[in-house]
Amino acid sequence: MSRRIAAAAIRGAHQVVAQAEQEIQAALEKFGPDKPVAFPSTGYYLPTVYGLTGHAIEKLSDVRVTLDHAKSLLAPEPSEALWLPYLGPALDAGMATLFAEELIEGVRSLNGGWPASTNNGAKYNGPIDDPQMRAWGIQLVDGRMPGFAAIVGTAKSNEVAVKIVRELQSRGILVLLASGSPERGKKTIVDQLMEEGVEMGYGTYIVPFGPDTISAVHALGFATRSAISFGGLKPGQGEDILLYNKYRVFAFVLALGEVDDIKYATAAGAVSYGFPVIADTNIPNIFPNGLTIYEAVVRMPFDDIPGADDLERAEKLVQRCIEVRGVKIRISKVPIPVSYGPAFEGERVRREQLRAEFGGRRSSCFEFLRMRDTSEIEDGKITLVGQDMDSVDQGGALDLGIVVEVAGRKMQTDFEPVLERHIHHFINGAEGVQHMGQRDIAWIRVANAAYDKGFRVKHLGEIIRARILSEFSAIVDKVQVTLYTEKDDVQEWIKVAREAFRERNERVASLTDDSVDVFYSCALCQSFAPNHICVVSPERLGLCGSENWLDCKAAYEIYPTGPNRPIEKKGLIDAEKGEWESINQFVYANTNQSVERVTMYSMMDAPMTSCGCFECIVMMIPEANGVMVVSREDPSMTPAGMTFSTLAGMAGGGVQAPGVMGIGKYFLGSRKFLATEGGLKRVVWMSSVLKESMQEELQAAAEREGIPDLLDKIADEGVATTVEELLPFLEEKGHPALTMDPLF
Amino acid sequence: MPVTVETPTEKWAGKVREITLGATAAEGGTRTSTVTVGGEGTMPFLHFEGETPHRPVVAIEIYDIAPQDWSPILMDYWGDVVNDVVAWAKKAVELGADAIALTLRGAHPEVNDRSPEDSARVVKDVLAAVGVPLIVYGPGAPDKDNEVLVAVAEATAGERLALGLCEQNNYRTIAAACMGSGHIAVARAPIDVNIQKQLNILISDMGLPLDRILMDPTTGALGYGLEYTYSVMERLRLAALQGDAMTQQPMICTAGHEAWRAKESKVGEGVPEAWGDWKERGIAWETVTATSLIEAGADILVMRHPEAVAIVKKTIDQLVAK
Repeated sequence: MSRRIAAAAIRGAHQVVAQAEQEIQAALEKFGPDKPVAFPSTGYYLPTVYGLTGHAIEKLSDVRVTLDHAKSLLAPEPSEALWLPYLGPALDAGMATLFAEELIEGVRSLNGGWPASTNNGAKYNGPIDDPQMRAWGIQLVDGRMPGFAAIVGTAKSNEVAVKIVRELQSRGILVLLASGSPERGKKTIVDQLMEEGVEMGYGTYIVPFGPDTISAVHALGFATRSAISFGGLKPGQGEDILLYNKYRVFAFVLALGEVDDIKYATAAGAVSYGFPVIADTNIPNIFPNGLTIYEAVVRMPFDDIPGADDLERAEKLVQRCIEVRGVKIRISKVPIPVSYGPAFEGERVRREQLRAEFGGRRSSCFEFLRMRDTSEIEDGKITLVGQDMDSVDQGGALDLGIVVEVAGRKMQTDFEPVLERHIHHFINGAEGVQHMGQRDIAWIRVANAAYDKGFRVKHLGEIIRARILSEFSAIVDKVQVTLYTEKDDVQEWIKVAREAFRERNERVASLTDDSVDVFYSCALCQSFAPNHICVVSPERLGLCGSENWLDCKAAYEIYPTGPNRPIEKKGLIDAEKGEWESINQFVYANTNQSVERVTMYSMMDAPMTSCGCFECIVMMIPEANGVMVVSREDPSMTPAGMTFSTLAGMAGGGVQAPGVMGIGKYFLGSRKFLATEGGLKRVVWMSSVLKESMQEELQAAAEREGIPDLLDKIADEGVATTVEELLPFLEEKGHPALTMDPLF
Repeated sequence: MPVTVETPTEKWAGKVREITLGATAAEGGTRTSTVTVGGEGTMPFLHFEGETPHRPVVAIEIYDIAPQDWSPILMDYWGDVVNDVVAWAKKAVELGADAIALTLRGAHPEVNDRSPEDSARVVKDVLAAVGVPLIVYGPGAPDKDNEVLVAVAEATAGERLALGLCEQNNYRTIAAACMGSGHIAVARAPIDVNIQKQLNILISDMGLPLDRILMDPTTGALGYGLEYTYSVMERLRLAALQGDAMTQQPMICTAGHEAWRAKESKVGEGVPEAWGDWKERGIAWETVTATSLIEAGADILVMRHPEAVAIVKKTIDQLVAK
C-alpha cells in the first residue's frame, strides 16, 4: 500500500475516533448511560460493529467497549523514515474508522436523526432498513442486482453527477450516496442530484445516506447485514463476513473530488470488504494485493479521461468502476422493438414479406467477432456507419458488415470463433428476422412486419450484445458492435475479416492432438445414454459434429460445472491407437464403470462408444477388408445389409462394439481417422451425400494419403447396395484396401 | 442337510444426507411435528446391508384455489374442502399426511394472478391451521414463481419450509430466498443425472448449505416413462452411496401430479371396458407409481388421493419392517 494513503488513512482514523469519543461523551451527559441506541428498523443493532465483532450495542453504556476497541486499532502515523510494512496498520485504521463512524451515527440518531439537506428540506435516509436490505439482498444473491456503488464526494458538475448515476441505474446497480468535496463547491452529490430533479429513494435504487463521509458507513452496514442474512454467517464471524463480501457482493467505492483523510480512512475500511476504490482525482494507484480481487485503488483523474465531453468521460468512469470490481451485468430482456425468443428461430422471411436483405445474391454481408483489450472498446456502444434500411426500396438489398468487438478478463482469442458462430441463432431469435450462413457468407432478411414495428440495423447490434453478455458473461465483460452499410467500408472490413478467418483456419489446422496436453469430455448425452462419454480432441470432434475441442474448451470456461471437463493426457499406453491411462480412468469413472478402455484412433480395439447422435456410422465390411461410412442423411440400403437406422441400434447406447463406430463427419478428413487401421484408404463405400458435401476435405485427405483419385475408388449407394455388387467395383478400380493388412 | 448361504453385501463409502423439514418453536418455527428424511446407507430397504434410518414420508398435495384440471375422481373425494385451503389442509392431515405440499396455483398469471403478498398470507393461514411441515410450490410460471416464493420465504422465515421449484434456468432467486429465510430448496432436473448434479452444485455454490437442498429428479407416471425415472434415481442413489457428495440429497417425487394426469386415471368414458372401474383404476395408478418410486429410493412422495396414500403408507410400513 502506498505510504501516502496509509498515512492519510491512519490520520483520518485518529480524527474520526476522536470525534466519536467527544460525541459519545456529550451524549452520555445529555441522555445518561441507559439511553437506548439503535438504528431504525433493524434487528442488527449497529450492524458493522455487531457483524464484525459480535458486540450488540443496545444502550449508550454499551458503546464504550467498541470505542476502546477502535482506539486499540490505531497505530501512530508512519513517519517519513519508517519502512516497515504499513498495510496492516492502515487496514486496522480502516476498521477503527468504520466502528467509530457507526458510533457517531448511532449518537446522531439520538439527536433526532439525520440533518435535512440544504435544498428542499428533504431528509437524508440514514441507514437502509431491514426489509429493504432483505429485498435487495436477494437480488444481490440471485444476480438481478449486479452490485452496488458507494459514491462519496461531489461530481465535477451537476450534469456529470446525473450521468454517473444514470449509467449505474441503467445497469441495475444500486447507488448509495454520501459526503461532498468542498473544493468542488459547497454541494454534495446529493445536492447536485436534487438540483437536477433526480428522484431519490428506495424506489429508484438511489439512497442518500447523509451529507458527510461518516454516513457512508451505512453502505458497509448494509453489506454486513446481507452477509449475515444470506451467507448463513453469525454476528462475530468478522473474517467470514469480509470474505463473503469480497467474493459475492460486487460493490465498489467511487470517490468524486478530493480524497481527504477521513475518506481515505473510510475507504481503507471498504477495501477490507474487498470493495475497490476508484477516484476521479490524482491519488496513488494500488494494484492487486489480495484484499480485492483485482486492483484495490485506481485513480482516473476526471479531466484526463479520454472523451469528447464530460458526459462521455462520466460514462467511461463508470465503465472502469465496473471492470475494476468485475461486476457482471446481466441483460434480462433484449432491447429491440420486436418479440424475441427461441420460438422465432425457425421462422422464414419470404420474398413477399421482405423489407430488406443483407447478403445473399444481391449484396455482401459478413459478420466478424474479435477480441480487444478492455481499454480499447466501450461496452454497449452500438454504431451504425452509413445508411439504414429506410433508404432501401421495398424488398431491396443493402451491404452490411457486422463487426463485434468483445473484451473480458477471461476472454481468449481461441473463443472468437466459438462466440462468432452463435451470432446465427442470436439474430434468428428476433421475430421477423432471418439469418443464414456465417462469416463472409452471412445472409440476413428483415420482414416488413419487423420493420414496421421499428426494427432497424442497429438492433442487430443490440441483440448480439445482449445475448453475448447474458450467455457468455463468464468470459466477456464488454461488447461493442459497429455496423457498416457503405460499400467501401464493407469491402475494407471484409479484407480484415478474411485475414482473421484465414488465421483461424490455420490455427485450427495446426491444432493437433500431439500439440495439446488436454482433451475434453462431453457428457451432454448421458441423460439418455448413461454409459457413454465422448472424448473430444483437436483432431477428433464429437460424434454429433457439434462439439469440437475449442467449443469444449470454451464451454468449460463458461460452465465449469457443465458437461465438458478437461482430461489431462497422461500415461501413454499406445501412441498409434491413441490410448492413455488417464483417459481410460476418466472414462471408467464416468460411464458407471462400464467402459474400461478407449482408444482414440482405432475402431477395432476398444473404439470410442456412441450415444446415438453420430452424424455417420463407420462399419467394417470383412469381405472387402475395409469399412463403409453411412451418413444419417442416407436412407438407402448398405452393403452390410442394413440401413442407417438399423445400424444405429447397434452403434449407439454406449456399447463398445469393435468394428462399428459412430463419428462426426469432419472426422473423415482428419489425420487421426482410423489411424490404426490405415485411415481413409480403408473406406470402400461411402454415402454419396458425404462424398458431395465433404468433397474438399476428403480430396485433401486422399492427396495426403498419396492416392489423389481415392474418392473415385470408393463405392456409394448408386454403385453397390450389397457386398456382391461392391467387390467387383473395388477390383475394377483397384481399391487399396484389397491389398492392405487384414483388418483383424 | 441345512445349507448356509451367505448373503452378498456391498460396503458403501457414502450415504444420503439427512434433511429435516419444518422447525418447531424451539427451532425458530411453529411446527408441532417435523419430518426427517435421508440417511440411507444402502440401496432401498436392503436392511441386511445397511441402515435406512428414516422411513419415506407422504405429503398430500393441495391447491390454494379449487383445482380446475383435476380428475373428477379426486374432486369427488375431496368435495367442498377444495374451496377452502385451510379446511383442505386440516383434512389432509387427518387423513394421514406427514407433510402438506401446497401449490400456489392461484398466483399463476393465467389463473387468478394472486399477488405475492396474498399468496404469502395463504401460506401463513395454512401454517396456522396445521402442525406438520409444509412444502410450497410456486404457480409454475418462472417469473411469478420467483416473486411469490420470495414473499412466502420472507413471511415464513424460520419455518424451514421446502420451496420449489429450482430449475436449471431459474434457480437463483428461489435459492437466494431460501438462504435468506432458512428454508429448503427443491431442485428439479429433467430426468437427467448430470443436470441434477450440476444443479445441486450450482445451488450450493451460491451458499445454500447442502442440508437444505432436496432433489426432485422428475418422474413420469406408470406407463409414461416411470422406468426411465427409476433408472435415473437408481443411478443418483448409486452415485451417492459411492461417495459423490453432490448427489447425496434426499429425493422428492411428485407421484400424484403425474399419476393423475395419465389418461387411465383422468378419463372415465370412452375407454375399453377391460380397464375396469374408473375410481379403482385411478387410485391404483397413483399407488403403483408411488410405490415404484419408493423402491427406486424416493424419500418424499407428493400424492393426491388419500386412499392411495393409505395403501402407500401401509406398504412403507412393510418395507421398513426388518
